[in-house]
Amino acid sequence: MNHPLRPAVGAHYLALAVFAVFAAFPLLWTLSVALSGDPSRMWFFPEALIPHEPGLIWFQRVIDEIPVGRYLLNSLGIALSTMLLSTLLAIPCGYALSQIPFRGSNALFVLCLIAMMLPGELAIIPNFLTFSRLDLLDTYSAVVLPALASAFGVFLMRQAFQDLPQETLDAARVDGASEWQLLWRIALPQCRPMVSALMIFTFVQSWNDYLWPAVVLKDRLKMPLAVGIFNDLTGPFSTSTSMVMAAVIVAALPVLVGFVLTQRYFVGNPKQDAEENTSNTGQ
Amino acid sequence: MARPGVSERTAWLFMAPFLLLFATFTLWPVLFNGWLAFHDYFLLSGNTAWNGFANFVFLAEDKQYFHPALLHSLIFLLVVPLLQLVAFGLALLVRPRRPGTGFFRALFYSPVILSVAIAAVVWQQLLLPDGLVNWLIASVTGLARHHPPDWLNDADYALAATMLFFCWKYAGYYMVLYLAGLQSVPRSLLEAAMLDGAGAWARLRHVTLPAMQPVILLSTLLSTIAALKAFQEIIVLTGGDAGTSTLLVYAYFVGFYGQNFGVAGAVALLLTLFCLLLAWLQMHWLGEHGVLRHGGVK
Repeated sequence: MNHPLRPAVGAHYLALAVFAVFAAFPLLWTLSVALSGDPSRMWFFPEALIPHEPGLIWFQRVIDEIPVGRYLLNSLGIALSTMLLSTLLAIPCGYALSQIPFRGSNALFVLCLIAMMLPGELAIIPNFLTFSRLDLLDTYSAVVLPALASAFGVFLMRQAFQDLPQETLDAARVDGASEWQLLWRIALPQCRPMVSALMIFTFVQSWNDYLWPAVVLKDRLKMPLAVGIFNDLTGPFSTSTSMVMAAVIVAALPVLVGFVLTQRYFVGNPKQDAEENTSNTGQ
Repeated sequence: MARPGVSERTAWLFMAPFLLLFATFTLWPVLFNGWLAFHDYFLLSGNTAWNGFANFVFLAEDKQYFHPALLHSLIFLLVVPLLQLVAFGLALLVRPRRPGTGFFRALFYSPVILSVAIAAVVWQQLLLPDGLVNWLIASVTGLARHHPPDWLNDADYALAATMLFFCWKYAGYYMVLYLAGLQSVPRSLLEAAMLDGAGAWARLRHVTLPAMQPVILLSTLLSTIAALKAFQEIIVLTGGDAGTSTLLVYAYFVGFYGQNFGVAGAVALLLTLFCLLLAWLQMHWLGEHGVLRHGGVK
C-alpha cells in the first residue's frame, strides 16, 4: 500500500529542502563567514558556505571592540521586565473582561481589538513627546512602559479564561472565594500553557524591538543588543564584513538557543498532538 | 449569569493598572495624532495653532515625496496575497507527520524570531551587487551579467527586494496560523467528499477553504496591518532611499527630521482610517458571510 506513495514522499522532502535552503542560507552563510579566518572567499557561491581557514578571530574582535556583554545585560533586563510586568497586567485585565460582567465590557474588548489592528509605529511620535515632557527620555522606563500596554496580551488572556469550565469557578464562588483568590488559585493554574506562550512571545518581541529603543535611548551603554549592535555595525565597524557577521551571530545566538528550547510554544501543534495521542491509546 | 457578590468595582480594580498604561501609550497617541493632524506644532516653543486642513492640503500637493510614499505603500500590500500563498504552501508541506517535519517547522519559523535589524544586516550583505544572491542567480541561470542588479540601491529593484525580505522574515509566522487552521478541517468531510468523487480542487474550494475561513481572515488581517506598517524593515534595509519610502517612513522623516509633527499626525490619521477601512473590507469579503464560506455559490 505504501509503495505507490514513494515518489510523492520524495517530492515532499524535495520541496521541504528547497524552502529550507531559502529559509536557512542567510544565517548559514553568516556563520560560515564569521568562522572564516580568511574572508577572501565570502562572495563566491558555493565555496562561501564552507568556512575558509576556520577560526574565532572575528568573534575575538567583536568581544574586544563592541560592549557585547553590556548590550546583552541591557537586553535581558529590558526583555525580562517587559515580559513579567506586561503579563502581570494582562492577567487580571483579561480575567475581568471574561469572568466579571460589568457595563462597557464589550466596548472595552472591541477597543482592544481595534488597538491590535492599528500599527503601533504610529504611536512613536506622540509617545516620544510624552516622554520628553515627563523628562524620561534616555531611560529604561521609556523603553519598557509603552510595551506594557499590550492589547494583544489582554486579548489572549481573555480568550484563555473564557474557555475555562464555568462550574469550577462558580463552585469556588459559592464557597466564598474572592475573585482575586479565584483568579490566582483556580483560574490561572489551568491557563498555564497560554501564560507561558504569552510570556515567551512578549520576551522575544521585546528582545528584538529595534525602533522604539533606538528612538528614546541616546546613551550607548543603555542600548539593548538589537539597537547597539545594529548601530555599531552600520557605523564604525561596517568596513569589516567578517566582523559584522561575527557580531550578527553573537546577537542572534541567544535568541536561536532560546527558540530551540521553547519551540513547541511557537510551532507546536498541541491539538494535533493531543488528537494523535488519543487515537494511539484508542487502538 | 448572575455572579453573587461580584461588583463592577472589582472588574475596574482588576483592569485599572493596565487601562492606565493603555490609555496613556496606546489610546492617547491615536487621539493626539488626530489632534495634531489639524494643527501646527512648534517644537521649540511648544506652541500649537489650529490650521484647518492645511496639513492635508500640504500632503495632497507634496508630489515629490508624499505621492510616491502612498504608491509604495499600496504596492507593498502585494506581499499580503504572496504571504498567504507561501504560508499556506508551507503549512501543507510541514503538516504530514513524517520524520523531520518538526525540524522543518522550526526552521521555517526561525527567521521570525530574529531581530529585524540583525536580519537586515545579513541581507544587506547578501544583496550587494557582488553579493551571494547575484552569484546564486548567475549560477542557477547560467547567465553572467556585466552589471548585476544593486538590489537595495537601485530604484528599479529596491522595493521588490524589501518586499521579498518581508516575506522571508514573516512567512513562518503565518505558516503556524495556517497549520492551526488545517487542523480545523474535519477529516470526515474530506473523506465524504472524496467518496462522492470530488476532485482535489473541489475539495479545496468547498471543504477546506470554508472550514479555514476564520484563519484565512485572521492571517489576511494581520499581514495587511503588518504590510501597511512596514517601516523597520525598510529603515534598516535601505534607509527609505531608492524608491522604498512608505507612508510610515514619510511620517517618520517629516516628524523627526522635518520637525513637522502636524503633517506627520495627518499621515498617521490617514493611515489609521485606511487600516480600519481595509480591516472592515476584509471582514466583509472573508468573514462569516463572505466568499470563502459560500464556495462561490450564493
